This record gives sequence, C-alpha cells and structure tokens, in this order.
Amino acid sequence: MLSRLGLRAAPAALKSLAPSLSVGVLHASRPFHTGQHCLAPLPPLPEKGGQVRHGLIPEEFFQFLYPKTGVTGPYMLGTGLLFYLLSKEIYIVNHETIAGACTVGVLIYIVKKYGGDVAAFADRLNEEKVAKALAVKNDSINHLESIIEQEKKEQWRAEGRSYLFDAKRNNIAMLLETNYRERLLTVYNEVKKRLDYQIAVQQLTRRKEQDHMINWIEKNVAQSITAQQEKESIAKCISDLKMLSKSPQAAV
Amino acid sequence: MNLTFFDQFMSPQILGIPLTILALLTPSIIFPTQNTRWLTNRFSTLQLWTINSFTKQLMLPINKTGHQWSIILTSLMTMLLMINLLGLLPYTFTPTTQLSLNMGLAIPMWLATVLTGLRNQPTTSLGHLLPEGTPILLTPILIIIETISLFIRPLALGVRLTANLTAGHLLIQLTSTAVLTLLPTVPTLSLLTMIILFLLTILELAVAMIQAYVFVLLLSLYLQENT
Repeated sequence: MLSRLGLRAAPAALKSLAPSLSVGVLHASRPFHTGQHCLAPLPPLPEKGGQVRHGLIPEEFFQFLYPKTGVTGPYMLGTGLLFYLLSKEIYIVNHETIAGACTVGVLIYIVKKYGGDVAAFADRLNEEKVAKALAVKNDSINHLESIIEQEKKEQWRAEGRSYLFDAKRNNIAMLLETNYRERLLTVYNEVKKRLDYQIAVQQLTRRKEQDHMINWIEKNVAQSITAQQEKESIAKCISDLKMLSKSPQAAV
Repeated sequence: MNLTFFDQFMSPQILGIPLTILALLTPSIIFPTQNTRWLTNRFSTLQLWTINSFTKQLMLPINKTGHQWSIILTSLMTMLLMINLLGLLPYTFTPTTQLSLNMGLAIPMWLATVLTGLRNQPTTSLGHLLPEGTPILLTPILIIIETISLFIRPLALGVRLTANLTAGHLLIQLTSTAVLTLLPTVPTLSLLTMIILFLLTILELAVAMIQAYVFVLLLSLYLQENT
C-alpha cells in the first residue's frame, strides 16, 4: 500500500532531484523480482566442469590455436610472453616473486593431495540428499505393496466364507440338538419322579391296609376263641399227634 | 616496481581514489550465490555445508535471543577468512592489516554486546564485573581490574588481528628477500631459507584461518555473557 504511494510520488520526487542524482536513483529504485519465477524444470547441470589444462587455461584456448600453430603453439606463446616480460623488466623479480612461488607451490600441493577427498565428500553429501528422498519414495512403495498383499489375502479369505458358514451352521444345529435332548431327558426324569411317587403312595396304602386287616382279623380271631374251643382244639391236637406218632414208626 | 617492505600495507588508490572498498568487496566474488536447484554443484554444496556446520557450532553455547547474531557472525567469519587467505597471494593488499579496519569491526561489535547486556539484563551484566567466589576484601580492586579488562577487549580484538597478519606478512617478505639475496652467493643457505619459507607459508595459511575464527569466537563469547 505504501509502495503504491511511493510509486505515485516517484516522478515528482525524481524531478526535484539534481540531474546527476536522478539517474542513479531511478536505477537504484528499480524493483526486482516482480514477475512470476520460472516453475518449469531447470535444464540439468552439465556432468563435468569445463575442461582445463594445467588448472588455469581452458581447453578451448588450445583448440582455438591448434589449426594455426599446432600442439606447441600455446606453450610457445606462454613462454615467449613470460620471457618478454622478464627481459624487458616489465615484470621485476623481487621478493614477492619468491613469496608468491612459495605460496602457489603450497596451494598446489594441498589441492593435489586433498582435492579428490574433498570432491568425494561433496559428492557424498549430494548422494545422501538423493538417498533420503529415494528412501521416502521406496518406503511408501513398500508400504503400499504390503497393503496390496494384505488385501489379496483378505479376498482369498472372503472366498472361503461359505465353508465357514456351513461349519458354523452345523455347529449351531448340534448345539440346538444337544440342548433339546437334554431338556427331553429332564422332562422324562421329572415325569418319572412324579409317577414313582404315586406308585409308592399306592403301595404304602395297600400295605397299610393289609397290615391293618391282618391285625384286625387276628384280634377278632383271638377274641372269638373261647375257653371251650381252646380245650377242644388242644385235645384234638394231642390225638392227632399220637396218630401221627404211630404211623411213622410203622413206616420205618 | 621496486617494492619496499611496507608497500603492501599502503591503502591502495588510483590517482587519489581510494580502492579500499573494492579490496573489501572483491573476496565476496568467490562465493557462489544461492542456487535455486535442489542438487547443486560441488562448490555450492561444500559452501552450504561449511556455513551450516560453522553456524551450528558457533551458536551452540548461546541461548535463543543470541541467535539473531548468527548471520552477522557467520558473514564476518567468511569475510575475514577470505580477506586473510587472499592476502597471502603476492602483490595483494590485505585490508585486515590496517588497524583502522579491525578497530572499525571490533569496537561496534563489542559495544553492541555490552549494550545488549546492559539493556536486557543490567544486573547480570554488571555482575560479571565481580567473578564468583572472591574474598570480600578484594572486591573494590577487582571491580576496577575487571572494568579495565572490559574496556581493553575491543582494543585486544582489533590489535590481535592486525598484529598477527601484519607480522606474518612482514616475515614472509623478509624471508623471501633473504632467499633472493642469498641465491647468487650461497645457494645452499638460500635453499635452507626456502624451506623455512615453505614452513612459514603453511603457518601463515593456518594463522589466517585461525585468526578469523578467533575474532568471531571471542565476539560470540562476549555475546554469551551478555544475553
């Protein structure tokens, strides 16, 4: 919002400045990053850096000079240039030369010794980055594959559903049958108990009646036996016994 | 050009236009800018990795509020490192050999840490002037001593960096002059001196990196005290 105010006030402000300043201010106040940045995939980085000979001079320079001066051309140029500078004392050899040679020698030694390791380390950092992203992708792929396997197993289980239901049905039928039989047995036992009870009551009644009748008959008989009858019966028993005692003796 | 020993320490200028700004800004050309790619080239990857690990290492002992200083300390470290290392090449001007530059870096930074401490936690800041466990009798003397040491810190920071680099550069000049002068007359001695020069160069490389690190480390230490 304030930038819009600034934009509107800009031309007047620029005019009020001295001409030597207004150009600079115009360029300095140019807005950056106003458009949409490019979202398309960038072209890939080249595989290797530019080819360089002796660590300093690009290979293209040698190719450039090759048609006219052959293989030794650039080297002749370099040596001639160096000797020209030295002989005309355009470049003077002083203590800085030796110090520079020393420093450059040490630097070259360090680069030769540790350059490969440093490059391998940088490559390893990049590879770890890529490996992390790949690991995420592979993990999700594996996870989804295991889900697919589990789904297939569930489908196979679903096919065998009918056998499961038959077995369950049989099981339940057997349970019902067993239960029914048990209840039948219970009923039978209960009925039998009741009938046994009735039989026992009848038998008890009959026995009681028998006993009572016997007692009554005995009592009456005992009462009816007079003294006369008792004597008669005893005399008859004795005469019978005598008769009997005679007959067995004859038999023997 | 016939160089004297102190020509390398003259602030560069062309026809009166000072070039110190260029000398200070040129090292930043070496650093690649932020890449929009995910997988960068080796140089950018290494730069990112070094800056990340350095900042993490530096900010470990400092609490959260001090983390605002991470960008200024890391950029200071990279600038000093580059200036020092580039100064080892021949015929280059090292801005950090100038006391004015180093004091200009040290005094504002140190003052900022002190003022942060005094503003946010004045009692703790002032309490640093008396170390723990001192006998009561020594208190007045010790406070004076600690105040003096507090005010010497920016001087020490600036002068340490200047002295180390100036002395190193000067030694290299002197030893290489000795090598050059001895070469026509006593080549063997010249070779021995050359070996010394090699060792000295390695030392100077190390010193360049270490001094930059020490500068930033001490500043972070002062910050740690005061946040």
